[in-house]
Formats: sequence, structure tokens, C-alpha cells
Amino acid sequence: MPPTVPTDPLAAAAADAGMSRRSFLRTSAVLATGLAAVAASLKPLFEMEDITSAEQFMQKYYKELTPEDMKKVLARVEREVEKQYGIRPHVRDLKPMDGVEFAYALNLSRCIGCRKCVHACVAENNQSRNPEIQYIRVLKMPHGTFDVEKGDHYYATEKVPEKGFFYMPIQCQQCHNPPCVKVCPVHATWQETDGITVIDYDWCIGCRYCEAACPYWARRFNFTKPSIPADRINPNMSYLGNRPRRQGVMEKCHFCVQRTRDGRYPACLEVCPTGSRKFGNILDPESEISQILRTKRVFMQLKEDVGTNPRFFYYFDV
Amino acid sequence: MVLGLLTLAFAGLAAAFLTDSWGYPAPRPQIPLVDKALLDPATVRRSYRDLIKAKEDLSDFDCYGCHEKGHPPPLRYDENHKLIVPTEHSDVVMGHGTHGRNNNCFNCHNENNLTTLQPRDGRELRLEDSTELCGSCHGPTYRDWDSGAHGRINGYWNTKLGPAVKKDCVNCHNPHSPRFPGRKPLPGPHPLRAPGVSEPTAETTSH
Amino acid sequence: MITAARNYLVFLRRCARIAFVGDWRYYTWMGVLTVVALFGLNAYAKQFAHGLIVTGMSDEVSWGVYIANFTFLVGVAAAAVMMVIPVYIYDNEELHDLVIFGELLAVAAIIMCLMFVTVDLGRPDRFWHLIPGIGQFNFPASMLSWDVIVLNGYLLLNVHICGYLLYSRYRGVKPGKWFYIPFVFVAIFWAVSIHTVTAFLYVGLGGRPFWNSSIVGPRFLASAFTAGPALIILALQVIRRVTHYHITDKALLTLRAIVQVSMLINVFLLVNEVFKEFYSGNLHVISSRYLFLGLHGHHALVPWIWSAITLNLIAMVILVLPLSRSLKYLNVACVLSIVGIWIEKGMGLVIPGFIPTPLGAVVEYTPSLNETLVCFGIWAFGLLCYTIFLRMSVPILQGRLAKANEGISEPGPDDVVEDTPAPSHS
Repeated sequence: MPPTVPTDPLAAAAADAGMSRRSFLRTSAVLATGLAAVAASLKPLFEMEDITSAEQFMQKYYKELTPEDMKKVLARVEREVEKQYGIRPHVRDLKPMDGVEFAYALNLSRCIGCRKCVHACVAENNQSRNPEIQYIRVLKMPHGTFDVEKGDHYYATEKVPEKGFFYMPIQCQQCHNPPCVKVCPVHATWQETDGITVIDYDWCIGCRYCEAACPYWARRFNFTKPSIPADRINPNMSYLGNRPRRQGVMEKCHFCVQRTRDGRYPACLEVCPTGSRKFGNILDPESEISQILRTKRVFMQLKEDVGTNPRFFYYFDV
Repeated sequence: MVLGLLTLAFAGLAAAFLTDSWGYPAPRPQIPLVDKALLDPATVRRSYRDLIKAKEDLSDFDCYGCHEKGHPPPLRYDENHKLIVPTEHSDVVMGHGTHGRNNNCFNCHNENNLTTLQPRDGRELRLEDSTELCGSCHGPTYRDWDSGAHGRINGYWNTKLGPAVKKDCVNCHNPHSPRFPGRKPLPGPHPLRAPGVSEPTAETTSH
Repeated sequence: MITAARNYLVFLRRCARIAFVGDWRYYTWMGVLTVVALFGLNAYAKQFAHGLIVTGMSDEVSWGVYIANFTFLVGVAAAAVMMVIPVYIYDNEELHDLVIFGELLAVAAIIMCLMFVTVDLGRPDRFWHLIPGIGQFNFPASMLSWDVIVLNGYLLLNVHICGYLLYSRYRGVKPGKWFYIPFVFVAIFWAVSIHTVTAFLYVGLGGRPFWNSSIVGPRFLASAFTAGPALIILALQVIRRVTHYHITDKALLTLRAIVQVSMLINVFLLVNEVFKEFYSGNLHVISSRYLFLGLHGHHALVPWIWSAITLNLIAMVILVLPLSRSLKYLNVACVLSIVGIWIEKGMGLVIPGFIPTPLGAVVEYTPSLNETLVCFGIWAFGLLCYTIFLRMSVPILQGRLAKANEGISEPGPDDVVEDTPAPSHS
């Protein structure tokens, strides 16, 4: 009289129960169709485009990679990108520089909300175009408030700036006390000595706890395989920076490590038509960022009350 | 009986899974790519210094191709005491300073040598040094520009690794009409799920 | 040693065998659960292949019904202690032989919890990064790492306690006190910890004012100790109905007293929270406003939360009245409170924390079909597990499956059949 649950092969049980031929046949039929149903239910797995290779599966944690390991890993990433996009990238593992701590300042008196930074960032950092991932969100704020809930994310006027509004671009604030790092269960995101909070895309398990923890909504999740047209790939890549991500992992602004650890300005700053964006080494008293923080009377950190102590400052022309 | 039904149910299920169409990602609307030209980090305008560097044709700045040396061109005003821009200079839009106070070409240009500039202190500046001229009136802004708080610097933050290119006032501002022009913003975000419109503040009707 | 191992294997084999024996009702029930579970497996295969895009989640609302169900089920698991405490601390006779059913429910609930967390991962293939030793375990900083420890620990504790007691009963020996009593007491504290830690998962996020409230932990416990025992009351009645296992009304009424008090505390804490949010009127009330009243024309959750509150209030009234000494009304109250608390904790706690986003954008969340199928699948699998646990344990407790009758007879389908708790919600 036995089996029902098809996942469990109970032929043995059926046999020694000494049952009739008919009931054995019936049982076998249930088992067979059940197993067929299990197999059929897994059909979608064959549609997977990006199957994890053994090498990817066994990939070690960033901080445990020896220089030789790293060489191999970078070669693998280059190979994968070339296979997928037909472009041979140059992937580097750029380390933080000694005596450098980055900070960013944004002049709210000058920003006109043109969103060039948003799209320059997308282009520089190989972000998915559809579904769309952007690290910078520009809020159109009515004069007289800092309450982000009053901001408009989707403005599409003919011309900016509009009278009566100011514009506040928000991206990863590279906090001194980052909640995202604290909550990550696998150390897949951490703060480096130059102040940049980075993500090991090959270590992240995609639990999205960091996304819930971030008070600035700076983190983005790859809900599916990212799509980037091959002619839009930026081949200058870094391991912790802008190399293409895979489905199911987090990403976010990393102050363009592939540029800034090379001494260059980040892409969002380069493209800003109004010069509202300022970036540099805060440990160098002569850098423009140091001068701004020293001389400007009013500057602020967003949501100072949550205690994250951002390295991203908003300032005004006073 | 039950077993028979179960057999049927499983067989049906297997067939359903093999031919199913539910649960797949919904087709996503196209998102147009942003024109690469819009992401060019070049400044809005090119300064005289840029033109020299690029070894471009500077004949536009050859004032004495038309004007006569030693004869400062006369300025004419209408009844509201607004400068009448001669047709030869129709590209110049006079919009510097409020209340029409800055309406004299020779506040900045040197009437005795049109190829140079003259700040109030009597110095004579080359066209490529126009930033000094701006600074002669706009003290605090010049101070900010000098320290790097105002204006654009491109290239390298770490000057040991490469040059930092500091842009001049005229790279962004038209000296005759310095207010930064408005422009069409690049497209806004296309969220994965239909967004709610955030608070329709005051006169936000930008949809 | 070898004989012991052999004996144990025989025990396991007999248990496994009996799980596949039953009458037509048993087969139908198990068959239906299997079909639902397969739908879930298929839906998960789609999610695995195409990513979480097949859910209703987004960067704006980055956790959804998976985490909501997880949170609810942690509560169900924790509630097992509400049977353990009366038995082991107050020597309650009526519940003594029933406590194991509560613990087995906890085991099934934790299995579901772990499955819900797993399906929520973007990269389940990297789960090993979480394993201390071979992965990178951010302990003690990350509350999620605490959760991994307490949940798995609780699972092991309960599997040990149930397994040991059942095997002792099977062999017909008196269980050695030192082999399980210490574990029972550890499990009591552990149960409180699993739900507290799960609450801290939310409470610890300073950037989410809706969760960043010290009352969330106590509310979690109160609602867990309401919904959990309510579920056990229903489950016990089903067991009594289909197995002739001796369960007294008095035992059910003891549990009623627990549900009664917990529900009162639960509603009281809810009032506290609502008062603080709305009376102070600071800007942080915005998520609560979205939940209870709607925000800028968005009110997907408003009907849910008000039905949850209504259900809870009706349940509370029934429970407080002597009326609920009648099982009929008690059952109604239990079903109402389970559904009410599931909504309140699932839709009412997890989702509004994301709306609006920290940057003030309002994007609503509705679970997708695929996501819902995965949830149903996990619930079906959990019920399947619980049914099998009961199918094994009831004959052992009744003495029909024992070492004494090894090789003589298997409790056949004609004897008895188990069923599972009311599939009231899922």
C-alpha cells in the first residue's frame, strides 16, 4: 500500500512489503510521474545564461588573495569580459595610496540639476542600462527645506535650473561609520584606508541587508543579469570598481577607484558643467577639498543625525 | 484511487512545467541610451587660451583688421541709456551686471588697444589673462576660484601623477552675459517598478 | 557501539517507512502538499535562473514577502517555549505529553525560515561564504550573522530534544535527565533570543526610523507568543481528530490562557507604538502614515493593516470573554489572530520600513505571482515536514512503533492517520 511522496525512491520498501503486482505498478506510476514532475519543474535552470564556473565558485575572498591569485583572477575577469562583450579590458587591482583620504564636496549654490553626473557615472562604471542602475540620484528640492521627502526624483522639465528650486545630487557618502559594512554578514563590503567603501562583487551573497541599512539609498542590487551594449563598455576597469557585475550582487558608487587611485578625478566631477563637484585628498591641506572645508562657513553632511559621518559634504557659496 | 489521481496530477504538473509561461520576468520597456556627446566633459565655452593652445584661427580677435589704431570706437546709447551694439558685433549680448550698470565696452576692453583688456587698476592684460580682469571686480568669487572652491578643475587631483587643468571664468561664463545658461536636463531615472510620484511640492508640475 | 548505531539506523528506517504509509486522506493531503511544493520549486528555479527580477522587489523595496514570512515563522518557532515553560518550569501535567508537538512545530518552522532566507539571496550559490571557517563570518558586528547562529542553534537544540525523547520512548527506556533537561532550559532562552535577534535585525538600522524603535523586539515576542500557541491549539485538535492521541481540553485551555495574555500585551504594545508615532508628529512618522493612512495617494497597505488590527481586536475580545472556553470560538479566535499577526508582521512591519525610501521616493510593493508561488511552496514543504514528523512521533508516543515490536508489525494505515494544522494561511 505504500509510497506517495515521489521525491523519495521507495522501491525497496515497496518490494519487501510483499504487495500485489497491481499496487506495485500503481506505486511505480506515482513515483515515476512524481520524479518526472520534479525534473520538469527544474526546466528553467536550463535557461540560465550566466552559469557559475568552478573557478568562480571557488573564488577566494578579496583580502585572502595572494598577489599570484590576484593575477589569475584578473586574467579570468578579462577573459570573461572579452568573451561576453568582445572587448579586451584592462583590469587592475588598484590599492589605496598612502597618506590619502578622499573626500567629496558639492556646491549646492551652483548645481543646476542637469544630471550629466548621473549618466557620466553610468558610462564610466559600466552600469546596467536595462534594468537601469544609477549610483547618483538628483533631487529637485523646493527652496527652504532639506527634507528629502519634499524632493522630486523624476523631474523632466525643458530647462534647469527652475526658479524656486535647488538641486541635490545624492550618491554613496563614503561614511566614516558605514552601516552597510557593519551589517554585511560576510564582510563582502568594507572601508579601505583611503575612505572608500568597496564591494567584492565575487563575494557578495546578495542578501540586500546593506541596502536596507544605508540611510542614503546609495546601494543598488542586480535584480537580473546586467545589460550593457558592447560599444558602451569602458575597458579601463578595476577589481573593486567598475568591472561588470553579475546577477544577484550589490554595487554602488566607489568614487571611481579605477580613476581616483590613479590620481585622476572621478567621472561625475569631470563632466560637471558648473564645477559644483569637488574632490580630493583631505590629508593634503593644500587640496581644494581641504580649503573648502577650512574656509566655507556653511557645509553639511546629509542626515548628520544618523551618525554615519559622511566624507561627502554639501556646501554653499559663503 | 488516490494514487491514480496523484499519478494524473503529477503527469499534468510535469506537462505544465514543460510548457509553462508564468512567472517569467515581464518584458521591460526600452530605455533609450543617452547620446555619448552629452557626456563630453568639455567646458561650455572655449577660452582664448584654449584657442591658442589648439593653434586655431584667431582672426576673429584681430581687432585692427577693422578698427583703426589710435581711434577708439565711439559708443552709442539709446534713450534708456542702453548701449546700442553695432551690427558688426551682433553676437554680443549685453547682459553683464544688473540694472544696466555695466554698459560700457571699455569697462573691460582697452579703448587704446582693443586687443587687450584693462582692469580698473590701469594694468593692461592679454586676452588670455581675462580671469585676472574678472577678479578685479568679483573679489570673493576670484578668491574661491583661486582656492578651487569655485569653477572647474579637470584632470588629476594628484598633480604628481598628471596635470590639473584649471578652467578660466570664460570657459563657463560668457563675459558679455555671464549668467550660466539653463539647459535641458538629461533623462531621469527609470525605476524597475512603477514609481509613485513623490510629493507634488509647491509648483512641481514637471511631468 | 556498532549495535547502537545499527539499532539507531533501524529506528530511522522504520520512521522513514512509516512516513509513506497512511490511508487515503493521508495520501491526498501529502499529495496536495507535494504538488504545491513542486509549484514552488518550479517558481524558485525560474528565480534562480533569471534573478530576483521575477519577484515584486526593487531597489526601493528590497525585502518583501520572503523576509516577511521569515519573520513570522521565527515567531512561530520561538513560541514552542510557551509549551515548554509550563511543562518544565510549572510541571503542568496536561501539556506534558504534548510539548513535543510544539517542539516539532518549531523544527518545521525553522526549516521554513531557513528556506525563506535562502530564496531571498541573490547568490544562493555563495551560501558557503556564511560558514565560519571556510567563509567570512561577520560576527558579532552583523545581526544577520547572529541570526544564522541562533536559528541553526535552535534547530539543532530542538532536533536533539525531540529526537532523543522519541528514541528513548521507542526503546522503552526512561530518558536520561542530563541528556535533555539542560538542553530544554537552554532552548527556552534560545527561543527568546531567536526572536529578539530577528527583531534586532530591523531595530539596529538607524537609517530606517520605522524600525529603529526599541519596542519592536517586545512586540515581536508578544505577537509570536500569540500566533505560535494559537497555531499549536489548532494543530493539536487536528492530531486529536485523526489519531485518537489523548489530548485533553484542559491542555488546550492552558494554551488558551497563554494566547489570551499574549494577545492583550500584543495589542497594548501596538497602541503604544501608534501613539508615539502619531502624537509626536515628527517627520519620522512618514512610514507609519503610509501604513495606516496612505501617502500621496498610495495606500496599498492600508486595507491590510486595518484588517490585521480588526482581526486582532476581534480575536482579543473573543479570547478575553469566557466564550472562548468553547473550542469552537477558541478556534475562531486562533485563526483570526494567526492571520492578523501574519499580516501585521509581514506586510505591516517589513514593507513599510522601505516606504518611502531614505530619499523620500514612494515606490509600492506587490508580491509577484512567482514570488507567491515560492512562498506557497515553502509553506507546503514545511507542512509536509511537520506532517511527517507527526506521522512518526504519534505512533512512537502511543507505543505502537517501538523496539519491542521491531519486525513484527508496522502501524498500518488502518490504525490512524495524522493530519496537520489548519492550512489557514500561507
